[in-house]
Amino acid sequence: MSQVTSRLLAKDLKKSYGKVNAINGIDLHIDQAGVFAILGQNGAGKTSFIRCALGLESVTSGSLETMGNKPGSLSAKQQTGVILQDSDLPDSLTIKEQIQLFASYYPNPLSVDDTIAMCELHSFADKGYKKLSGGQKRRAQFALAIVGDPQLIFLDEPTTGLDIDARRRLWSIIREFANKGKTIVLTTHYLEEADNLADRIMVMNAGKIVADSTPEDIHKLVKGSVVRCQTQLSIAQLQSLSGGGSVTVSGRFSEIHTEQVNNTLAQLLSLDPDLQDLTVSQPKLEDIFGQLSQTGGGA
Amino acid sequence: MSRVFQSFCLEAGAELLKAFRAPEFIIPTLGMPVAFYSLFAIMIPGSNNNAAYLLATYGIFAVMGPAIFGFGISVANERDRGWLDLKRAAPSRGVNYIGAKVCSTLLFSSMSLAIIYLVAGFAANVAMPTATWTMLLFVHVLATFPFILLGLCIGFLCNGNAAVAISNVFFLGFSALGGLWIPVMVFPQGMQTFAHFLPTFHLSEIALAVSGAPGQRDVSYHLIVVAIMTLILLAATMLAWSKQRSK
Repeated sequence: MSQVTSRLLAKDLKKSYGKVNAINGIDLHIDQAGVFAILGQNGAGKTSFIRCALGLESVTSGSLETMGNKPGSLSAKQQTGVILQDSDLPDSLTIKEQIQLFASYYPNPLSVDDTIAMCELHSFADKGYKKLSGGQKRRAQFALAIVGDPQLIFLDEPTTGLDIDARRRLWSIIREFANKGKTIVLTTHYLEEADNLADRIMVMNAGKIVADSTPEDIHKLVKGSVVRCQTQLSIAQLQSLSGGGSVTVSGRFSEIHTEQVNNTLAQLLSLDPDLQDLTVSQPKLEDIFGQLSQTGGGA
Repeated sequence: MSRVFQSFCLEAGAELLKAFRAPEFIIPTLGMPVAFYSLFAIMIPGSNNNAAYLLATYGIFAVMGPAIFGFGISVANERDRGWLDLKRAAPSRGVNYIGAKVCSTLLFSSMSLAIIYLVAGFAANVAMPTATWTMLLFVHVLATFPFILLGLCIGFLCNGNAAVAISNVFFLGFSALGGLWIPVMVFPQGMQTFAHFLPTFHLSEIALAVSGAPGQRDVSYHLIVVAIMTLILLAATMLAWSKQRSK
């Protein structure tokens, strides 16, 4: 390596569509191999960010570089691979034909056979795309993303709509590719996916990165439990039970985020024996966003 | 350089495979022109006198299908399903994508023409000097290009479903109103005037002049009009191309 350049660099990046701000000032620097998850709900700006990084959309302001080049430039594209969200390959071409075609776009591609082996496509490499299952289709798309042997790979919600087996299989293939020194940036709205796969998680909400840390640290943000019930108690009373956690009221339900669930439950039941529909669950992504917007992000 | 050429060959090969594996594309584009030609030039009693005349106009009809459908519907579908975006994100060349489709379209136009020429020569007994056959082939193949541009415009501007409908409107409308099925001179006066605004009318007049059909024709006038229409379509295609890129 003669010179270490950033693989992905964003500085105060903004993207708006008319009056809608999809990306609201992102600063990001990735200069090493690994899996980097951008975690966020639908509409958080994840796909807009990926499309800007690929040069498919222009940037409104700020700067963005992939592999030290302008997104969309030939040099950037030759070092980048992608699975786009909602993208399908031609139905009637076989997987092998599609991989051969994509390999021809790149200066130093992997061999077609190696790509088929790496993505576990042997059993259906000669089948048309149309005949494949959802998980097989996604692995075929991953094959097109890696056949050019790129250093940087974007995967936009690669496992959405897949069952858990297909998802786990794709995870192991992605992880293996990252271990070859590649940088993989993937978007997801599954906390579990980011958790299982990523070396670093960037939580995105309303066009901003509100947390950027290791999965362990992100987990510290989501420790505790969510107690949900219908109760007559006031918000102030509930707040006193939460041990410093947040309280939200949506419709007839109140939600208490607490780190001392046993204490909270005991007090809650003694204060309001008539409460209804009590459930206790793990915090969801929405709860993290609630917390992060209260603390103003960080990590 | 050879790597770029190799990639182009794979791209063109992929286009041909896609077309050959789509019976819904092959049957109408190859079957319909020859079926219509056989009906109107051979099967209808007394029609054989018109076989040479109709060869000139049905040749235009034969090249329209592969161009309008091959570009209009396939580009619109490939945009719809995100395939075009994926290719744009990859270091593939837009020129290769279009060029590969042009190759595939020209092959299908030529096949469609070959079938009609064989039927004309052997079943309808059309007899012309070799030079005339060659000139006619040249005109018919060149006639593919304005329709390729029309197809591209449709593909860039419409979604898949709309592209099917709009391609059919142009394909059938241009054929009928431009005099490819029935000569324009039997139309009412208003429709005869309207035909002058359609590329099919001018292209068929050029083909008729080349094949030595009876009647006076100002070939240079028709050539100029076709050239102007092609330039307008080219400008529209480039606008449509930049519009779909900068969405």
